[in-house]
Amino acid sequence: MEVEREIVVPESPDEVWEALTEPERLEEWFATEVELDARPGGEGVFRWGDGDERHAVVRELEEAERLVLDWDDGGSVAIELEPSVDGTRVRVVEASPDFAPALELRAFAWTTAAAA
Amino acid sequence: MDDGRRGIDRVFAALGDAGRRSLVEAVATRGTATATELAAELPVTRQAVAKQLSALAHAGLLRATRAGRETRYEVTPAPLEDAVEWMVAVGAAWDERLAALRRTLATKM
Repeated sequence: MEVEREIVVPESPDEVWEALTEPERLEEWFATEVELDARPGGEGVFRWGDGDERHAVVRELEEAERLVLDWDDGGSVAIELEPSVDGTRVRVVEASPDFAPALELRAFAWTTAAAA
Repeated sequence: MDDGRRGIDRVFAALGDAGRRSLVEAVATRGTATATELAAELPVTRQAVAKQLSALAHAGLLRATRAGRETRYEVTPAPLEDAVEWMVAVGAAWDERLAALRRTLATKM
């Protein structure tokens, strides 16, 4: 399962890219405390004010175009930048963690029960 | 068994489309909704929304209740409770983050 969001900002892809990959910039919008080694295979730690902490590994990185992080819970997030006439289109796709197999089992149990 | 397998296929086919997924999300966020209410906020016709809602109800993802001339939909508690909760929570988190990203980019200029 995936959640998708898209916004267009007036800044250039290079400017948006800095906000996506520099830890001190990420702390302004993504998480309270950020460590990120922004290169393929690099590790990231994201902490939020409520005590939540998530670890990630950079799966893909194409400067000013695409950043994909794999979360340690099995989920992932892909952020893509595309130049547009108004600035930059920012597209986010977050894929769900491990509950997908559980979901399939539950869906199966439920539809079997419904069919019975 | 075959009925169950076809049921799963219907669930996943219904959710394989981004427009339908966002409709499930929109219904879940509101609690209940009609095609007219959803069409008012989406760039699609009431007829198109009604058709998608009907397909989602057929797949068992939404429950349909007649309310006068309209059909009111809500998300069925099973089989998608966890998935829908995740979708709504993650969607809300990204709405906030992207608003914050927009603000921080604007102040840097």
